Amino acid sequence: MSRFFKQAGDSDSDSDESEELMSSGDEAPQAKPSGSKPAMSRFLRTAGSDSDSSDSDSDSDEDSDSDSDIPKPKKTGLPLRSDSEESESEEEDRQGIRIISAQERRLAEMEGTGKAIENGLKINDWVSISNEFDKLARMIQRQHNVSEPIPPFYLKTLISLETSVASAIAKEKEAKKKMNATNAKALNSMKQKVRKAFREHAEDIVKYQADPEKFEREYTALITRDAPTTGAAKTTNGDAIDVDGNEDFRPVGRGGRSVALTAEGIFKSLKSVQEARGKKNTDRGEQIRILEKLLELATTTYQRIRVLLALISSRFDYNSSASSYMPTELWISAQNEVDQLVAVVASNPAYIVQELTEDYDELVERSPATEKDGIVRIRGSIISFIDRLDDEFTKSLQNIDPHGTEYVDRLKDEKTLYSTVCRAQAFYEQTKQDDPLSRVVMRRLEHIYSKPDAVVQALESSTESADIKPSITLASKGSTTGLIHSLCVHLYRTGNSLHRTRAMLSHIYHYALINDFHTARDMLLMSHLQESIHSADVATQILYNRTVVQLGLSAFRSGMIKEAQSTLLDIFTTQRVKELLAQGVHQQRYQVLTPEQEKAEKQRQLPFHMHINTELLEAAFLVSSMLVEIPLLASIDSEELKRKAISKPFRRLLDFADRQVFTGPPESTRDHIMQASKALQDGEWERCRDLVQSIKIWSLMPEAASVKEMLAKRIQEQGLRTYLFTYAPHYNTLSLSLLAQTFSLPLRSVTSIVSKMIWSEELAASLDQSSGCIVFHRMEVTRQQQLALIIAEKVSAMAEQNEKALDAKLGTSGGWGDRADGKTGEKRGEQVQERRGRGDRTRGGSRGGARGRGARFAQGLGNQMGHTSQRAG
Amino acid sequence: MAEYDLSKTLIPYLDRHLSFPLLAHLVETGVFPADEVQVAQYELAKGTNMFDYAVSLFQQIYPNQEVPKEFEEKRVNAVSTHERLEHEAQAVLDVITIPDVAQALRQDKNQNLQYLKDNFNLTLEQITALYNFGKFQYSYGNYSGAADYLYHFRVLSTDPDLTISAHWGKLASDILTGKWEVALEELNSLREAIDSRTPAPFASVSSSANNNTPAVDPALSQLHSRTWLVHWSLFVYFNHDQGRALLLETFLSPAYLNTIQTSCPWILRYVAAAAIITSPTPTSKSSSVPQSSRVKNAVREVVKVIQMENYQYEDPVTAFLMQLHVEFDFESAQKELQKAEKVVLDDFFLGQFHDEFLESARCLVSEAYCRIHQRIDIGDLSDRLNLPRAEGEKWIVNLIRETRMGQDAKIDLEKNLIQISRPPQPVYQSVIEKTRGLAIRTQALGAAIARSGAAAAQANVSTSVQVQSVEPVAAVV
Repeated sequence: MSRFFKQAGDSDSDSDESEELMSSGDEAPQAKPSGSKPAMSRFLRTAGSDSDSSDSDSDSDEDSDSDSDIPKPKKTGLPLRSDSEESESEEEDRQGIRIISAQERRLAEMEGTGKAIENGLKINDWVSISNEFDKLARMIQRQHNVSEPIPPFYLKTLISLETSVASAIAKEKEAKKKMNATNAKALNSMKQKVRKAFREHAEDIVKYQADPEKFEREYTALITRDAPTTGAAKTTNGDAIDVDGNEDFRPVGRGGRSVALTAEGIFKSLKSVQEARGKKNTDRGEQIRILEKLLELATTTYQRIRVLLALISSRFDYNSSASSYMPTELWISAQNEVDQLVAVVASNPAYIVQELTEDYDELVERSPATEKDGIVRIRGSIISFIDRLDDEFTKSLQNIDPHGTEYVDRLKDEKTLYSTVCRAQAFYEQTKQDDPLSRVVMRRLEHIYSKPDAVVQALESSTESADIKPSITLASKGSTTGLIHSLCVHLYRTGNSLHRTRAMLSHIYHYALINDFHTARDMLLMSHLQESIHSADVATQILYNRTVVQLGLSAFRSGMIKEAQSTLLDIFTTQRVKELLAQGVHQQRYQVLTPEQEKAEKQRQLPFHMHINTELLEAAFLVSSMLVEIPLLASIDSEELKRKAISKPFRRLLDFADRQVFTGPPESTRDHIMQASKALQDGEWERCRDLVQSIKIWSLMPEAASVKEMLAKRIQEQGLRTYLFTYAPHYNTLSLSLLAQTFSLPLRSVTSIVSKMIWSEELAASLDQSSGCIVFHRMEVTRQQQLALIIAEKVSAMAEQNEKALDAKLGTSGGWGDRADGKTGEKRGEQVQERRGRGDRTRGGSRGGARGRGARFAQGLGNQMGHTSQRAG
Repeated sequence: MAEYDLSKTLIPYLDRHLSFPLLAHLVETGVFPADEVQVAQYELAKGTNMFDYAVSLFQQIYPNQEVPKEFEEKRVNAVSTHERLEHEAQAVLDVITIPDVAQALRQDKNQNLQYLKDNFNLTLEQITALYNFGKFQYSYGNYSGAADYLYHFRVLSTDPDLTISAHWGKLASDILTGKWEVALEELNSLREAIDSRTPAPFASVSSSANNNTPAVDPALSQLHSRTWLVHWSLFVYFNHDQGRALLLETFLSPAYLNTIQTSCPWILRYVAAAAIITSPTPTSKSSSVPQSSRVKNAVREVVKVIQMENYQYEDPVTAFLMQLHVEFDFESAQKELQKAEKVVLDDFFLGQFHDEFLESARCLVSEAYCRIHQRIDIGDLSDRLNLPRAEGEKWIVNLIRETRMGQDAKIDLEKNLIQISRPPQPVYQSVIEKTRGLAIRTQALGAAIARSGAAAAQANVSTSVQVQSVEPVAAVV
């Protein structure tokens, strides 16, 4: 630290000179305003400091230049020092007391290196000397690049080195064995290097050796000549000149000329900020502060746009790591600035921000008058800012604990974000830019598609008050559905197939959310998305999964138990519900995720407020499975036939529950449903109903009461069916009115249910109208008959097996394709293929049950994961 | 019954001229006030070249007002246009009616065109004159003339769009002249033209875009064409002898079923009615024509579709089928049948099939009733069938006598009951059924193996042994 200060102090004059160098491009009077005074210090200081940083980064530019020249990067040479220096300079910048110019720093560095060389000489460590000298040579090279004269210091070092090398070699010759191999090698190479350097700078050295003092004088003269008004620019020097500059500053600041001046300054500083971007030791916070000040300064539209563009991107730059999120305050100001930018550009049609423009001079003020066609085109991309803003918002929500108040506070920002998006939409509509317009509409849609009416209204209310409004608003469309519909229709018309797909899915999701099951289902089926969804990216696949799940829930809410069951079955068979919905990371039993996979997975997660409650989902699925499966189970027993289980997950749970010796009162949702299933099996529909209705999670459904009512009705009906299946063998006749009484159903619906069962031949019975009862036609099957049936069954299964085996062996050759059921043969082939495909995948084995759409679910993320794991391995 | 009237939904999908019969029918049924319908008729006629008709309608509606002048002007215009077009068309017609020319014309349209151009100096424009004249004739109501000209045009023209358009025109003309045989042919060829028109883009749409793609989508225009065809074909199908079966055949094919479900669910009424009408009844002994399986199972299929589309469309006809075959609620079915009867009577297309519909519907009810019940009160059944007791008894006796039900059902007159005893299927029957195809399948298997070589021969042997051992068991049982 102290050394640094000392060095800095040493090179005070140098820093002045560098200041001059920097401003040398300008005329002398122009440099004046940067001569500061205490009253205006805030602005001036930063102005000064940013010119500084401009210098420093042009310097680091050169840094990188020279780095590319020399294969060995600089940072390996001096990691510690450069780091410490960085922090120091940062500190200083912040204090605003001392600003070290680039040249100053370079010199300081050089001197440091010289010191190190001296130290090396003392202990005869030629390896380190060689390294240090390399560094020094590089610095000189850089110096040369900026066409600065060679500092005398370097020549001095060179000369002293030459003598010491010579003496060392002489010594070495006298006393061998004194030096180890590496050191000797270094010494030799040092000799070469010094000789080479001598040759390069021969002229200077001769001059220097002739008269060192004169040379030094010349050197300082050379530097000072470039900038006659020394010191005027420097705040930190605290010279008396400051006072002078003070006095003529005011009039200039107020005068008309100052606009041009500040404008000129703005572009320069902008350029420097832009160049500093992405550099190792740029202080992002400082950059932002500079730009903020610049924004205050900016007077013309062009300037404002330019500064805003730079400011917003530097705000987004602030946090470069992928895992953490942007600080909320920064986000809010970025959001404000995007708003400003949109407003500025929207209100000035003569200015256009484009991603591709012709080249223009960054340092020149432009206005519609100076351009050829009267339109100023500026390079930049508003849409990417909005995308980024939205992404950062999502990221922050992903990272904030969803159960804290912070999350809620953060969520409140969605409203302003939404209005920003709406304004951008209005802007793009106004300027008729189709591609960004569809992107922005997509963003807007994604904010509202999964939200209930009230939330959308709240979000939309802000757009109403905005100065510019998009053509599609809630007010103009009348309802949320209308709003979403028109947004989606807009996206369907665009050429981008990804947007179309996502819009379609969001549209379906919305219909499912408002319980318009039929429309949603028809749209999903007509879109044929289930065929092409594998090829979509993960985010779209997640959206697809969400949509399908929501569709299942909507079927459940509307009382379509069968549909709900079959829709939800697919995702539950995979047993990775949370993962497939991007609502949590799946715990793998046999596999550990690599950190990259885990990271990728985490980035995919949806923010908490978008989640579909998985417990509710499971309850809906299990209850509908119960209503479908229990009567089926009952009918299997009565027919003594093994039928395929419809819902494997449910069966598994039921078997597990059966095996338990003691059953306590139900606690979890699953317990409730399992006990309810048992009650239903026993014909105790009332108990079953009570158990199902006492599940607490139903309260999360908006229509809990009506859903419960619907469930009660379904339970009555299915209870009746189960009862009939289970107890039919024990009755000869059964009175309909008794059944109606037992299940408290109207006689008519009992008749209807029984009739349906008879008609579909589930129940071997018929109705006796006159006496009002069911007459069962129990068919007693003898043991022998039963065996005959079984063997017939087995033989036909065997024939089937043989056909399959032959199929597999012969491939698809149509040796017997002329059979009537050629089609089924084909289908079987497909299945075989599918199974083979699953076997190839690493995790196919554990999940044999999923086929058809279930497999599709599994493939969704499974494929992706497979790829990543391959890559990792 | 106005709420069940479909005229309003159908007319947008019909040609102006095709709508006249519908409106005329509305006047007859009196569902809507007659003068309103007349105004509609007048509005409709105003857009055509049928001035005399329009004028007479005008005079009927506004007896005290003077006929607008514009008709007179239009008439003059039309007469001159007619002469001009006729003159143009006549030139072509003269050429192609020469017997030599008629013989020289081949299948290849381009060759024909070249031939006509070389020998008679006929150009494409002149041939188009045929189309224009045909269209003009159609517009003032000379349908048979229009049909002729359009036919000739179609033979010669190479322009695909105009040919399709001529197809439609010819179909409309044939419908309006009441030539159902010709119209049916025309309908089928038009259907082929529509179905074959866009095979390639269809696949690409389903694979890539998979969305409500932009308006110029060929799939969408195909859907439109199909929708129109579905509506126009109602005229043909409900007037042709074999029409109902053909209707089911067409409308239940996947492409048209999809069309109906997507764009015009109300057509389900006609599908349902056709399914009911074609279902076999004791009185309709016209099963001389073998029916395809699609028609035989029409009721079942239609019920499935109706159930699926119930949220979109419902009327008494479909509701009747729903109640009967989904809910098995005979009481509501009976009520729906009462309503459906009226609807059918008032419907333009279904009106003439009222009796058949009722008869078939009763058969359906009694079939379902008998299959579910063991003992049926005749009086009750008569109620279900909307028949008075005495008549109902007669009807039921007839039914039992003439259908296969006769073996199982006996009437107990003393108690006024029908006893139905349906013995359960014996076990051996089901065993036989299960093993029926095995021998043939195994043979096929054997053949396949013989073809592929001796490698897989052993599997074959083992199967055939198994099958042989089964048959004795079945015999024992």
